[in-house]
Amino acid sequence: MLSCALTVVDAAAAVTVFLPEPLRSYCSGIAELPLTARDVRDLLTRIELTQPALYPNVCDETGAVRRHLNIFVNADNVRDLDGLQTVLTDGDVVAIIPAVSGG
Amino acid sequence: MPDRVMLTIGTKKGVFVAEGRKARRTFELRGPFGPGVPVYSTLVDTRGTPTMYASSCNPFFGMKVLKSTNMGKSFKETKSAPAFPKDDGRALINIWSIEPGNARKELWAGVEPASLFKSYDGGDSWEMVPGISNHEHARKWNPGNGGLCMHTIIRDGKRVHLGISTGGHYMSEDGGETFAPANKGVGAGFQPDPYPEFGQCVHKIVRHDAVPGRLYMQNHGGWASWTGPGGPRPDIGVLRSDDYGQSWRSIAKGLPSDFGFPILVHPDDPDTIYVMPLEPATRTCPGGAPAVWRSENGGDRWSRLTKGLPKKQSYFTILRDAMTIDTLKSPALYFGTTTGQLWMGRDGGEAFECLFDALPPIHNVKVAVV
Repeated sequence: MLSCALTVVDAAAAVTVFLPEPLRSYCSGIAELPLTARDVRDLLTRIELTQPALYPNVCDETGAVRRHLNIFVNADNVRDLDGLQTVLTDGDVVAIIPAVSGG
Repeated sequence: MPDRVMLTIGTKKGVFVAEGRKARRTFELRGPFGPGVPVYSTLVDTRGTPTMYASSCNPFFGMKVLKSTNMGKSFKETKSAPAFPKDDGRALINIWSIEPGNARKELWAGVEPASLFKSYDGGDSWEMVPGISNHEHARKWNPGNGGLCMHTIIRDGKRVHLGISTGGHYMSEDGGETFAPANKGVGAGFQPDPYPEFGQCVHKIVRHDAVPGRLYMQNHGGWASWTGPGGPRPDIGVLRSDDYGQSWRSIAKGLPSDFGFPILVHPDDPDTIYVMPLEPATRTCPGGAPAVWRSENGGDRWSRLTKGLPKKQSYFTILRDAMTIDTLKSPALYFGTTTGQLWMGRDGGEAFECLFDALPPIHNVKVAVV
Protein backbone atom coordinates (compact mmCIF):
# COMPACT_ATOMS: atom_id res chain seq x y z
CA MET A 1 0.00 0.00 0.00
CA LEU A 2 2.75 2.41 0.94
CA SER A 3 4.66 1.91 -2.29
CA CYS A 4 1.49 2.50 -4.32
CA ALA A 5 0.91 5.79 -2.56
CA LEU A 6 4.49 6.87 -3.16
CA THR A 7 4.16 6.01 -6.84
CA VAL A 8 1.11 8.26 -7.13
CA VAL A 9 2.91 11.19 -5.55
CA ASP A 10 6.00 10.66 -7.68
CA ALA A 11 3.97 10.74 -10.92
CA ALA A 12 1.94 13.79 -10.10
CA ALA A 13 2.47 17.03 -12.00
CA ALA A 14 2.29 20.47 -10.43
CA VAL A 15 -0.51 22.35 -12.21
CA THR A 16 -2.64 25.44 -11.71
CA VAL A 17 -6.43 25.22 -11.77
CA PHE A 18 -8.11 28.38 -13.04
CA LEU A 19 -11.51 29.01 -11.48
CA PRO A 20 -14.22 31.19 -13.03
CA GLU A 21 -15.57 34.00 -10.89
CA PRO A 22 -18.78 32.25 -9.72
CA LEU A 23 -16.74 29.41 -8.20
CA ARG A 24 -14.26 31.47 -6.24
CA SER A 25 -16.54 31.95 -3.25
CA TYR A 26 -16.34 28.19 -2.69
CA CYS A 27 -12.55 28.37 -2.57
CA SER A 28 -11.68 31.28 -0.26
CA GLY A 29 -11.99 33.73 -3.13
CA ILE A 30 -8.96 32.59 -5.07
CA ALA A 31 -8.85 32.45 -8.86
CA GLU A 32 -5.93 30.07 -9.21
CA LEU A 33 -5.62 26.86 -7.25
CA PRO A 34 -2.26 25.05 -7.22
CA LEU A 35 -2.56 21.26 -7.13
CA THR A 36 -0.63 18.17 -8.08
CA ALA A 37 -2.22 15.40 -10.11
CA ARG A 38 -1.42 12.75 -12.68
CA ASP A 39 -4.36 13.33 -14.97
CA VAL A 40 -7.64 15.25 -15.05
CA ARG A 41 -9.59 12.55 -13.21
CA ASP A 42 -6.96 12.54 -10.49
CA LEU A 43 -7.16 16.33 -10.37
CA LEU A 44 -10.91 16.16 -9.76
CA THR A 45 -10.34 13.64 -6.99
CA ARG A 46 -7.85 16.00 -5.36
CA ILE A 47 -10.32 18.87 -5.64
CA GLU A 48 -12.92 16.66 -3.92
CA LEU A 49 -10.48 15.86 -1.12
CA THR A 50 -9.04 19.32 -0.58
CA GLN A 51 -11.92 21.62 -1.63
CA PRO A 52 -15.15 19.92 -0.54
CA ALA A 53 -17.26 23.04 -1.05
CA LEU A 54 -15.92 23.61 -4.55
CA TYR A 55 -16.19 20.04 -5.82
CA PRO A 56 -20.02 19.69 -6.05
CA ASN A 57 -20.05 22.73 -8.31
CA VAL A 58 -17.79 20.94 -10.78
CA CYS A 59 -18.99 17.32 -10.57
CA ASP A 60 -22.39 15.83 -9.78
CA GLU A 61 -23.05 13.00 -7.31
CA THR A 62 -22.04 10.36 -9.85
CA GLY A 63 -18.65 11.96 -10.32
CA ALA A 64 -19.46 13.23 -13.81
CA VAL A 65 -18.31 16.71 -14.75
CA ARG A 66 -21.38 18.93 -14.86
CA ARG A 67 -22.94 19.07 -18.29
CA HIS A 68 -22.45 22.76 -18.96
CA LEU A 69 -18.85 22.96 -17.79
CA ASN A 70 -15.80 22.50 -19.96
CA ILE A 71 -12.34 21.62 -18.76
CA PHE A 72 -9.37 22.84 -20.72
CA VAL A 73 -5.76 21.79 -20.32
CA ASN A 74 -3.87 24.83 -21.53
CA ALA A 75 -5.68 25.70 -24.79
CA ASP A 76 -7.35 22.34 -25.42
CA ASN A 77 -10.72 21.06 -24.27
CA VAL A 78 -10.14 17.67 -22.65
CA ARG A 79 -12.97 16.42 -24.85
CA ASP A 80 -10.53 16.76 -27.75
CA LEU A 81 -7.69 15.15 -25.81
CA ASP A 82 -8.10 12.00 -23.73
CA GLY A 83 -11.03 13.20 -21.65
CA LEU A 84 -10.56 12.69 -17.95
CA GLN A 85 -7.57 10.45 -18.73
CA THR A 86 -5.69 13.43 -20.17
CA VAL A 87 -2.24 13.29 -18.58
CA LEU A 88 -0.98 16.43 -16.89
CA THR A 89 2.54 17.76 -16.92
CA ASP A 90 4.29 20.30 -14.74
CA GLY A 91 3.18 23.86 -15.45
CA ASP A 92 -0.13 22.98 -17.11
CA VAL A 93 -3.02 25.36 -16.57
CA VAL A 94 -6.31 23.55 -16.14
CA ALA A 95 -9.23 25.91 -16.68
CA ILE A 96 -12.80 25.14 -15.62
CA ILE A 97 -15.03 27.27 -17.84
CA PRO A 98 -18.83 27.36 -18.10
CA ALA A 99 -20.17 26.64 -21.55
CA VAL A 100 -21.88 29.41 -23.48
CA SER A 101 -25.52 28.60 -23.08
CA GLY A 102 -28.77 29.90 -21.67
CA GLY A 103 -31.15 32.62 -22.67
CA MET B 1 -50.40 40.88 14.78
CA PRO B 2 -49.41 39.77 11.26
CA ASP B 3 -49.71 42.76 8.98
CA ARG B 4 -47.38 42.18 6.07
CA VAL B 5 -48.05 40.15 2.95
CA MET B 6 -44.85 38.52 1.71
CA LEU B 7 -44.68 37.00 -1.74
CA THR B 8 -41.81 34.89 -2.96
CA ILE B 9 -41.64 34.74 -6.74
CA GLY B 10 -39.41 32.07 -8.24
CA THR B 11 -38.44 32.94 -11.79
CA LYS B 12 -36.17 31.79 -14.57
CA LYS B 13 -33.70 34.48 -13.48
CA GLY B 14 -33.69 34.19 -9.70
CA VAL B 15 -36.09 34.76 -6.83
CA PHE B 16 -37.90 38.03 -6.15
CA VAL B 17 -39.66 39.07 -2.96
CA ALA B 18 -42.66 41.40 -2.92
CA GLU B 19 -43.82 42.97 0.31
CA GLY B 20 -47.12 44.73 0.90
CA ARG B 21 -49.32 45.84 3.77
CA LYS B 22 -52.54 44.03 4.61
CA ALA B 23 -54.55 46.28 2.31
CA ARG B 24 -52.40 45.01 -0.58
CA ARG B 25 -52.59 48.33 -2.43
CA THR B 26 -48.93 48.33 -3.43
CA PHE B 27 -46.06 45.89 -3.19
CA GLU B 28 -42.37 46.67 -2.93
CA LEU B 29 -40.26 44.37 -5.09
CA ARG B 30 -36.80 43.15 -4.07
CA GLY B 31 -34.37 41.00 -6.02
CA PRO B 32 -33.49 39.11 -8.01
CA PHE B 33 -31.58 36.95 -5.54
CA GLY B 34 -29.54 34.12 -6.97
CA PRO B 35 -29.63 36.25 -10.11
CA GLY B 36 -29.75 34.53 -13.47
CA VAL B 37 -30.46 31.11 -12.00
CA PRO B 38 -33.86 29.35 -12.29
CA VAL B 39 -35.88 29.01 -9.07
CA TYR B 40 -38.62 26.38 -9.15
CA SER B 41 -39.59 26.25 -5.49
CA THR B 42 -39.87 28.70 -2.64
CA LEU B 43 -41.19 28.61 0.89
CA VAL B 44 -42.09 31.28 3.41
CA ASP B 45 -41.71 29.34 6.63
CA THR B 46 -43.79 31.09 9.28
CA ARG B 47 -42.82 28.80 12.15
CA GLY B 48 -41.01 31.10 14.59
CA THR B 49 -39.04 33.89 12.96
CA PRO B 50 -40.21 33.91 9.34
CA THR B 51 -37.63 32.37 7.05
CA MET B 52 -37.67 32.23 3.28
CA TYR B 53 -36.21 29.43 1.22
CA ALA B 54 -35.65 29.16 -2.51
CA SER B 55 -34.19 26.40 -4.62
CA SER B 56 -31.61 27.75 -7.02
CA CYS B 57 -31.14 25.29 -9.82
CA ASN B 58 -27.91 26.32 -11.47
CA PRO B 59 -27.46 24.56 -14.79
CA PHE B 60 -23.71 25.13 -14.60
CA PHE B 61 -22.84 24.48 -10.97
CA GLY B 62 -25.69 22.37 -9.58
CA MET B 63 -28.31 22.80 -6.91
CA LYS B 64 -28.27 25.36 -4.11
CA VAL B 65 -30.78 26.20 -1.40
CA LEU B 66 -31.05 29.91 -0.65
CA LYS B 67 -32.25 31.13 2.74
CA SER B 68 -33.31 34.53 4.05
CA THR B 69 -33.90 35.38 7.68
CA ASN B 70 -34.56 39.09 7.08
CA MET B 71 -37.79 38.96 5.09
CA GLY B 72 -36.09 38.66 1.76
CA LYS B 73 -33.74 41.60 2.04
CA SER B 74 -30.86 39.22 1.37
CA PHE B 75 -30.37 35.50 0.79
CA LYS B 76 -27.45 33.21 1.59
CA GLU B 77 -26.73 29.69 0.43
CA THR B 78 -27.28 27.00 3.05
CA LYS B 79 -24.28 24.81 3.77
CA SER B 80 -25.47 22.14 1.38
CA ALA B 81 -28.27 21.13 -0.95
CA PRO B 82 -29.94 17.74 -1.39
CA ALA B 83 -27.66 15.26 -3.15
CA PHE B 84 -27.96 11.56 -3.87
CA PRO B 85 -25.58 9.19 -2.11
CA LYS B 86 -22.44 8.71 -4.15
CA ASP B 87 -23.18 5.08 -4.99
CA ASP B 88 -26.81 5.75 -5.96
CA GLY B 89 -26.10 6.46 -9.62
CA ARG B 90 -28.58 9.35 -9.86
CA ALA B 91 -27.68 13.02 -9.95
CA LEU B 92 -29.95 15.83 -8.84
CA ILE B 93 -31.38 17.91 -11.67
CA ASN B 94 -33.81 20.20 -9.88
CA ILE B 95 -35.57 20.95 -6.60
CA TRP B 96 -39.31 21.22 -7.20
CA SER B 97 -40.76 21.65 -3.73
CA ILE B 98 -39.68 22.77 -0.29
CA GLU B 99 -42.14 22.26 2.56
CA PRO B 100 -41.97 22.57 6.34
CA GLY B 101 -41.52 19.32 8.28
CA ASN B 102 -42.45 18.34 11.83
CA ALA B 103 -39.73 19.93 13.91
CA ARG B 104 -38.98 23.65 13.87
CA LYS B 105 -36.00 23.42 11.55
CA GLU B 106 -37.19 20.40 9.60
CA LEU B 107 -37.69 20.79 5.86
CA TRP B 108 -38.81 18.35 3.21
CA ALA B 109 -37.74 18.74 -0.41
CA GLY B 110 -39.09 17.02 -3.49
CA VAL B 111 -36.56 16.82 -6.28
CA GLU B 112 -35.89 15.68 -9.82
CA PRO B 113 -35.33 12.83 -10.52
CA ALA B 114 -38.33 12.16 -8.30
CA SER B 115 -37.06 11.65 -4.76
CA LEU B 116 -37.63 13.04 -1.31
CA PHE B 117 -35.06 14.61 1.00
CA LYS B 118 -35.27 15.89 4.58
CA SER B 119 -33.26 18.45 6.48
CA TYR B 120 -33.35 18.78 10.25
CA ASP B 121 -31.23 21.92 10.47
CA GLY B 122 -32.93 24.48 8.26
CA GLY B 123 -31.37 23.29 5.03
CA ASP B 124 -27.71 23.00 6.01
CA SER B 125 -27.64 19.22 5.64
CA TRP B 126 -29.97 16.81 3.85
CA GLU B 127 -30.69 13.11 3.82
CA MET B 128 -32.55 11.08 1.24
CA VAL B 129 -35.82 9.41 2.29
CA PRO B 130 -35.42 5.87 0.98
CA GLY B 131 -39.06 4.79 1.35
CA ILE B 132 -40.02 6.70 -1.78
CA SER B 133 -36.66 7.56 -3.35
CA ASN B 134 -35.73 3.87 -3.54
CA HIS B 135 -39.28 2.62 -4.02
CA GLU B 136 -39.50 -0.39 -6.31
CA HIS B 137 -41.35 1.81 -8.82
CA ALA B 138 -38.81 4.65 -8.75
CA ARG B 139 -36.73 3.42 -11.67
CA LYS B 140 -39.90 2.78 -13.69
CA TRP B 141 -41.22 6.33 -13.51
CA ASN B 142 -40.73 8.38 -16.66
CA PRO B 143 -40.06 12.08 -17.00
CA GLY B 144 -42.66 14.30 -18.62
CA ASN B 145 -41.83 17.47 -20.48
CA GLY B 146 -41.01 19.19 -17.20
CA GLY B 147 -38.77 16.37 -16.03
CA LEU B 148 -39.34 13.59 -13.50
CA CYS B 149 -40.31 15.78 -10.61
CA MET B 150 -41.69 15.38 -7.13
CA HIS B 151 -43.66 18.58 -6.90
CA THR B 152 -46.24 18.00 -4.17
CA ILE B 153 -45.63 17.16 -0.53
CA ILE B 154 -48.65 17.19 1.79
CA ARG B 155 -48.18 16.17 5.42
CA ASP B 156 -51.09 15.21 7.64
CA GLY B 157 -49.75 13.69 10.83
CA LYS B 158 -48.46 10.24 9.94
CA ARG B 159 -50.09 10.47 6.52
CA VAL B 160 -48.00 11.88 3.68
CA HIS B 161 -49.16 12.52 0.12
CA LEU B 162 -46.67 12.95 -2.69
CA GLY B 163 -47.35 14.06 -6.25
CA ILE B 164 -44.94 12.93 -8.92
CA SER B 165 -44.91 13.73 -12.60
CA THR B 166 -44.92 11.19 -14.09
CA GLY B 167 -45.21 8.76 -11.21
CA GLY B 168 -48.65 9.53 -9.84
CA HIS B 169 -49.89 9.94 -6.28
CA TYR B 170 -48.09 8.05 -3.52
CA MET B 171 -49.17 7.79 0.10
CA SER B 172 -47.52 6.96 3.34
CA GLU B 173 -49.42 6.07 6.51
CA ASP B 174 -46.31 5.83 8.68
CA GLY B 175 -44.87 9.31 8.51
CA GLY B 176 -42.88 8.74 5.34
CA GLU B 177 -41.15 5.44 6.12
CA THR B 178 -43.01 3.47 3.44
CA PHE B 179 -45.12 4.55 0.47
CA ALA B 180 -47.67 2.95 -1.83
CA PRO B 181 -49.29 4.25 -5.02
CA ALA B 182 -52.89 5.44 -4.60
CA ASN B 183 -54.16 6.24 -8.08
CA LYS B 184 -57.52 4.50 -8.41
CA GLY B 185 -59.50 6.69 -10.82
CA VAL B 186 -56.50 8.77 -11.85
CA GLY B 187 -56.23 8.51 -15.62
CA ALA B 188 -53.20 8.60 -17.85
CA GLY B 189 -53.52 9.67 -21.46
CA PHE B 190 -50.10 8.94 -22.79
CA GLN B 191 -50.13 5.14 -22.64
CA PRO B 192 -52.51 2.40 -23.78
CA ASP B 193 -53.72 1.56 -20.25
CA PRO B 194 -55.89 4.52 -19.24
CA TYR B 195 -55.84 3.67 -15.52
CA PRO B 196 -52.44 2.24 -14.58
CA GLU B 197 -51.42 1.46 -11.01
CA PHE B 198 -48.83 4.25 -11.18
CA GLY B 199 -47.11 6.46 -13.72
CA GLN B 200 -49.76 9.19 -14.05
CA CYS B 201 -48.71 12.73 -14.85
CA VAL B 202 -50.09 14.38 -11.73
CA HIS B 203 -49.66 18.16 -11.90
CA LYS B 204 -50.65 19.28 -8.40
CA ILE B 205 -52.56 18.04 -5.34
CA VAL B 206 -54.09 20.20 -2.59
CA ARG B 207 -56.20 19.74 0.49
CA HIS B 208 -57.67 21.75 3.36
CA ASP B 209 -56.59 21.11 6.96
CA ALA B 210 -60.23 21.08 8.12
CA VAL B 211 -61.14 18.16 5.82
CA PRO B 212 -58.01 16.06 5.56
CA GLY B 213 -59.74 13.16 3.82
CA ARG B 214 -60.69 15.25 0.83
CA LEU B 215 -58.05 16.04 -1.78
CA TYR B 216 -58.21 17.79 -5.11
CA MET B 217 -55.91 17.03 -8.01
CA GLN B 218 -54.99 18.74 -11.24
CA ASN B 219 -53.93 15.84 -13.41
CA HIS B 220 -52.63 15.88 -16.97
CA GLY B 221 -55.88 16.12 -18.90
CA GLY B 222 -56.60 16.91 -22.52
CA TRP B 223 -57.24 13.36 -23.72
CA ALA B 224 -60.94 13.54 -24.59
CA SER B 225 -60.35 13.14 -28.31
CA TRP B 226 -57.57 10.57 -28.13
CA THR B 227 -58.20 7.84 -30.71
CA GLY B 228 -55.17 5.64 -30.10
CA PRO B 229 -54.90 2.43 -28.06
CA GLY B 230 -57.13 2.51 -25.01
CA GLY B 231 -59.53 5.02 -26.56
CA PRO B 232 -60.58 8.47 -25.41
CA ARG B 233 -60.39 9.38 -21.75
CA PRO B 234 -62.33 12.58 -21.16
CA ASP B 235 -62.31 14.61 -17.98
CA ILE B 236 -59.38 12.89 -16.30
CA GLY B 237 -57.71 16.23 -15.62
CA VAL B 238 -59.46 17.59 -12.54
CA LEU B 239 -60.20 15.10 -9.78
CA ARG B 240 -61.36 14.79 -6.21
CA SER B 241 -60.86 12.17 -3.52
CA ASP B 242 -62.99 11.76 -0.41
CA ASP B 243 -61.13 8.83 1.10
CA TYR B 244 -57.70 10.31 1.82
CA GLY B 245 -56.55 9.77 -1.74
CA GLN B 246 -57.30 6.07 -2.07
CA SER B 247 -59.73 6.69 -4.95
CA TRP B 248 -60.47 9.65 -7.20
CA ARG B 249 -63.38 10.87 -9.34
CA SER B 250 -63.62 13.52 -12.02
CA ILE B 251 -64.90 17.01 -11.20
CA ALA B 252 -63.92 18.44 -14.59
CA LYS B 253 -67.44 18.81 -16.02
CA GLY B 254 -68.18 22.45 -16.79
CA LEU B 255 -64.58 23.52 -17.36
CA PRO B 256 -63.46 24.67 -20.82
CA SER B 257 -60.49 22.31 -20.59
CA ASP B 258 -59.47 19.67 -18.10
CA PHE B 259 -55.81 20.49 -18.72
CA GLY B 260 -53.99 22.86 -16.41
CA PHE B 261 -51.18 22.96 -13.89
CA PRO B 262 -52.13 24.58 -10.56
CA ILE B 263 -55.08 23.87 -8.28
CA LEU B 264 -55.86 25.76 -5.08
CA VAL B 265 -58.22 25.42 -2.16
CA HIS B 266 -59.62 28.45 -0.35
CA PRO B 267 -57.99 28.90 3.08
CA ASP B 268 -61.33 29.21 4.88
CA ASP B 269 -63.57 26.95 2.83
CA PRO B 270 -62.67 23.41 1.78
CA ASP B 271 -65.49 23.46 -0.78
CA THR B 272 -64.00 26.38 -2.72
CA ILE B 273 -61.32 25.50 -5.22
CA TYR B 274 -59.61 27.22 -8.12
CA VAL B 275 -58.06 26.01 -11.36
CA MET B 276 -56.61 27.72 -14.41
CA PRO B 277 -57.70 25.71 -17.46
CA LEU B 278 -55.30 25.73 -20.40
CA GLU B 279 -55.55 24.42 -23.91
CA PRO B 280 -53.76 21.08 -23.85
CA ALA B 281 -51.97 21.54 -27.16
CA THR B 282 -50.52 24.96 -26.42
CA ARG B 283 -50.61 25.10 -22.59
CA THR B 284 -52.12 28.57 -22.91
CA CYS B 285 -55.43 30.13 -21.86
CA PRO B 286 -58.29 29.06 -24.15
CA GLY B 287 -58.90 31.64 -26.86
CA GLY B 288 -56.18 33.90 -25.51
CA ALA B 289 -58.61 35.06 -22.80
CA PRO B 290 -57.22 34.25 -19.34
CA ALA B 291 -59.67 33.12 -16.67
CA VAL B 292 -59.48 31.54 -13.27
CA TRP B 293 -62.28 29.04 -12.69
CA ARG B 294 -63.76 28.64 -9.24
CA SER B 295 -66.02 26.02 -7.76
CA GLU B 296 -67.74 26.76 -4.46
CA ASN B 297 -69.18 23.30 -4.00
CA GLY B 298 -66.20 21.03 -4.28
CA GLY B 299 -66.19 20.74 -8.04
CA ASP B 300 -69.87 20.16 -8.89
CA ARG B 301 -70.21 23.51 -10.66
CA TRP B 302 -67.65 25.98 -11.94
CA SER B 303 -67.75 29.72 -12.59
CA ARG B 304 -65.38 31.86 -14.63
CA LEU B 305 -63.52 34.72 -12.95
CA THR B 306 -62.21 37.29 -15.40
CA LYS B 307 -62.79 40.79 -14.02
CA GLY B 308 -59.65 42.83 -14.60
CA LEU B 309 -57.94 40.19 -16.74
CA PRO B 310 -57.24 40.77 -20.43
CA LYS B 311 -60.12 39.83 -22.70
CA LYS B 312 -58.09 38.72 -25.70
CA GLN B 313 -54.64 38.16 -27.20
CA SER B 314 -53.19 37.02 -23.88
CA TYR B 315 -51.82 33.53 -24.14
CA PHE B 316 -50.81 33.04 -20.52
CA THR B 317 -49.25 29.86 -19.22
CA ILE B 318 -49.44 29.38 -15.47
CA LEU B 319 -47.22 26.64 -14.10
CA ARG B 320 -48.06 24.21 -11.30
CA ASP B 321 -46.71 26.27 -8.41
CA ALA B 322 -47.38 29.71 -9.87
CA MET B 323 -50.79 30.22 -8.27
CA THR B 324 -51.44 30.76 -4.58
CA ILE B 325 -53.85 32.41 -2.16
CA ASP B 326 -53.21 34.36 1.01
CA THR B 327 -54.85 33.84 4.39
CA LEU B 328 -56.26 37.28 5.12
CA LYS B 329 -59.95 37.73 5.96
CA SER B 330 -60.84 38.32 2.34
CA PRO B 331 -58.07 36.36 0.70
CA ALA B 332 -56.41 37.42 -2.50
CA LEU B 333 -55.39 35.00 -5.20
CA TYR B 334 -52.06 35.45 -6.97
CA PHE B 335 -50.77 33.94 -10.18
CA GLY B 336 -47.63 34.40 -12.21
CA THR B 337 -47.26 33.79 -15.91
CA THR B 338 -44.42 32.47 -17.99
CA THR B 339 -44.50 35.84 -19.71
CA GLY B 340 -43.50 37.48 -16.44
CA GLN B 341 -46.72 39.01 -15.17
CA LEU B 342 -47.81 38.71 -11.56
CA TRP B 343 -51.56 39.10 -11.05
CA MET B 344 -53.56 39.50 -7.85
CA GLY B 345 -57.26 38.69 -7.61
CA ARG B 346 -58.94 40.42 -4.67
CA ASP B 347 -61.83 38.85 -2.76
CA GLY B 348 -60.92 35.34 -3.76
CA GLY B 349 -60.46 36.20 -7.42
CA GLU B 350 -63.41 38.56 -7.91
CA ALA B 351 -61.27 41.38 -9.33
CA PHE B 352 -57.80 41.05 -10.77
CA GLU B 353 -55.01 43.59 -11.15
CA CYS B 354 -51.49 43.21 -12.48
CA LEU B 355 -48.93 43.82 -9.74
CA PHE B 356 -45.81 43.42 -11.89
CA ASP B 357 -45.84 43.38 -15.64
CA ALA B 358 -42.38 42.40 -16.79
CA LEU B 359 -40.64 39.97 -14.49
CA PRO B 360 -38.70 37.04 -15.91
CA PRO B 361 -40.78 33.92 -16.66
CA ILE B 362 -42.46 32.93 -13.39
CA HIS B 363 -42.21 29.35 -12.10
CA ASN B 364 -43.45 29.69 -8.57
CA VAL B 365 -45.41 32.05 -6.32
CA LYS B 366 -45.86 31.57 -2.57
CA VAL B 367 -47.45 33.91 -0.07
CA ALA B 368 -47.55 34.31 3.71
CA VAL B 369 -48.96 36.91 6.05
CA VAL B 370 -46.36 37.69 8.70
